[in-house]
Amino acid sequence: MKGKALVIRLVVLAVVLAVAAAMMVIGRGHSIYLDNKTLEGYEGQDYKAYERIVITVDGEEVAKLGKRERGMATCMGQTFKMSLEITEQKGDEPRIEEVTVALPYNVDGIIINLPAYLAGLPEEAWFSEFVPMVQEEPADEEPLPGEVSDFPMDGTEGMDEGLGDI
Amino acid sequence: MHQPATAIALQYWLKKMGYPRLIIGGFLLVLFILAPITGSDLTTQITNVINRFSWNAVLVLAMVPMIHSGCGLNFGVPLGVLAGLLGGTLAIEMGFTGPMSFVMAILVSTPFAILFGGGYGALLNRIKGGEMMVATYVGLSSVSFMCIMWLLIPYKNPSIVMAYTGEGLRSMFALDSFYAGALSNLLEIDLNRLGINLVIPTGSVVFFALLALAVWAFFHTKTGTAMTAVGSNPIFAKASGINVDRIRILSVILSTWLGAVGVLVYQQGFGFVQLYTAPMNMTMPAVAAVLIGGASVNKASISNVIIGTFLFQGLVTMTPTVITALIHTDVSEVIRIIVSNGMVVYALTRKTEESA
Amino acid sequence: MKLKKNFDAVEFLKNNLVPIMFIVICAFCIPLSGLSPSYLLNEIVTRMGRNIFLILSLLIPIMAGMGLNFGMTLGAMAGQIALIFVTDWQIWGIPGVVLAMILSVPFSVLLGLLCGKLMNMAKGREMILGYMMNYFVTGLYQMVVLYFMGSIIPIKHAAIRLPRGFGIRTTVGLANLRQCLDNQFAITIQGVKIPVLSFIIIAVLCVFIIWFRRTKLGQDMRAVGQDMEVAQAAGINVDRTRIIAIIISTVFAGFGMIIYLQNIGNFPTYTAHSQIGMFCIAALLVGGASVEKANISNVFLGVILFHTLFIVAPRAGAAITGNAMIGEYFRVFVSYGVITLALIMYEVKKRRARSQGGQLLAQAQKEGGVQA
Repeated sequence: MKGKALVIRLVVLAVVLAVAAAMMVIGRGHSIYLDNKTLEGYEGQDYKAYERIVITVDGEEVAKLGKRERGMATCMGQTFKMSLEITEQKGDEPRIEEVTVALPYNVDGIIINLPAYLAGLPEEAWFSEFVPMVQEEPADEEPLPGEVSDFPMDGTEGMDEGLGDI
Repeated sequence: MHQPATAIALQYWLKKMGYPRLIIGGFLLVLFILAPITGSDLTTQITNVINRFSWNAVLVLAMVPMIHSGCGLNFGVPLGVLAGLLGGTLAIEMGFTGPMSFVMAILVSTPFAILFGGGYGALLNRIKGGEMMVATYVGLSSVSFMCIMWLLIPYKNPSIVMAYTGEGLRSMFALDSFYAGALSNLLEIDLNRLGINLVIPTGSVVFFALLALAVWAFFHTKTGTAMTAVGSNPIFAKASGINVDRIRILSVILSTWLGAVGVLVYQQGFGFVQLYTAPMNMTMPAVAAVLIGGASVNKASISNVIIGTFLFQGLVTMTPTVITALIHTDVSEVIRIIVSNGMVVYALTRKTEESA
Repeated sequence: MKLKKNFDAVEFLKNNLVPIMFIVICAFCIPLSGLSPSYLLNEIVTRMGRNIFLILSLLIPIMAGMGLNFGMTLGAMAGQIALIFVTDWQIWGIPGVVLAMILSVPFSVLLGLLCGKLMNMAKGREMILGYMMNYFVTGLYQMVVLYFMGSIIPIKHAAIRLPRGFGIRTTVGLANLRQCLDNQFAITIQGVKIPVLSFIIIAVLCVFIIWFRRTKLGQDMRAVGQDMEVAQAAGINVDRTRIIAIIISTVFAGFGMIIYLQNIGNFPTYTAHSQIGMFCIAALLVGGASVEKANISNVFLGVILFHTLFIVAPRAGAAITGNAMIGEYFRVFVSYGVITLALIMYEVKKRRARSQGGQLLAQAQKEGGVQA
């Protein structure tokens, strides 16, 4: 009986850990930046920007890109699916392409150069990481505990018993 | 098993001191030793500790009567503080200035303290055994009730009401022209002339000493011994013809009055009056100090107050300067929170002689 | 017959004093506030969705006779720590919430265990101990979040760290979790948004609590709540049962805090938990619960009444006195006041029961003496 209880507990623990792991995979969020920009001089070749790309994710249009424009989409999970409506040159009939990109887990912001990607180049050509600027501290931020005020008063005992909405 | 006499004495001494007190005392000692090494001026530090001791000691003293009569830790300190605040603001409103306003503040706050303490004591008599939790919430709700009152009572003195509307008191105002330094400037000993950076606020220390002496003397009167009897064994006290309820109310009134005086002493040292939710923050430092001094939920003495206030205020004053100089991060607030509240938690988990 | 009916009415009034008082105050304040019914209804439904789970976490310790669990704040802190990690790891949406819940469990269990052990050392003083534990653990929480995170515990994103390199900023944004539960399956009826998934989760917890009462452990808890000595004599491990009750409560409080914060969408790192316990306990008591007796209907009624007052009080206060601050202070006063009143009533009743017990005993002895 005791052994059985132990087994059940271990199984429950394993299941919970598995769920947590699954959540970490399917819930990992990425911001994806899509560039319609000419890639110059990659192995001696240029990949020209398209005239116009309309990007649709999950049936929702997220961006309409002209030349040298950037669009943004968000994605949860490790694969990003979008459908592109591409107009290669002015006056061309647009063609529709379904694209699925596998995303690296550890990168928050991913920049994809679409012309390079659609040309089937290797990852290093179309992929780059988006590094956000950290906004510097806004001046009016609340004080941290311990730097509540300049004068030597007995501050709150770690809790603000004052007012507030809930 | 034979143990050397010194070892037995040491063990007895350790037990009597209690580990928390030893740890905190040792920590404070280390801080004092480290202070010169980290480049902070030791005499300035000592001045600060003495100053803060003199501000807070009376508030800590307010714990003693209630613990003595078996009412537990006085989490209802805010009630006394409110009486003190009423006294202070009303004295100023009546137009008193300078040290006279301090005397008047104490006089005016006395009837409030008796009234609040009487009602509070009568309430506590009906809930014997559950005093601490109720006291906490009586304190909190009366503070929030007075928040409304500070806005509604028609104060007129322009130096204390809100500048733009002229109605309701400011949340904080300076006491420079009123009772700031009323005690601490009295007979102040300033050793700076001798080249030592040490200032002793004699007046405040003497005032505390007088009050402490009065409380000590009171416990040796007939009523005082009755109070001790009620605290240590209420059934026996009742059997020997003591009116337990009356004695308990008396102790609560005494505690409340000492709380009122205590906050006025604190303000004269600090130089500011803080209203609205500020009284809520007066409770824990006082409770923690008396416990660090070696008091328990049902036992406290004057020496507990003195040692506890010194240790606690020493800790509060020394950690910011010394620890910050050492690790370049100000962890003093967090240490203070953990120590003071940890102390209360520790005291609550101790077994007490009384099982009720 | 008529006399009996009158007696019942008085008894009913006496037992439901607080809810009735609140209904009266609300009825008085709602028209004064001038808020539209649909706005009011929308607010109340939203607040029900975000608060009920938290308040339900209070029920099990009451069942075990440990009073109002002021230590539920410990669970809230565990939830906040989990949310900080989830934010740093960039797990979004419902998976983020689920992961935060799983992550909060070890912290909650640890803190609940500590709290339960200490409460066993302070029997009869559980509430004040739980109350003090809040402050004590807040210190530990600040230590971890303000000094360890980013220095000892890795925090990847500079955006949530303080500029000095360690410690978490004063506000943690949950933009990617914001209302992800509430918006799932949400339906809007005449401008009132009903967060269906949140209500389903609450319903599951209600069912769990009802089921739990009937299990062996639940029965044990009730026995312990009735009389510890009798329970001990009946072979129940009292201390262990009490610790389990507190652990369950703390874990649920952690879940509740995560649900609460995903609705709000951000939280002040160092103060978010500080008032949660007070407001939840006040709401439960407003619903007619007492220190030793509370059920699910108290929770629902309490949330509705308490939050109605909370929404209308500032405006009503402003309408009456011309000063909005008075309304703000008034609602805080009411929250504290309700808790004070409930505590006093509980202690008076306990004392009366004790002295009655003493009288009965004395009488029995006297009668016994006569017979002998």
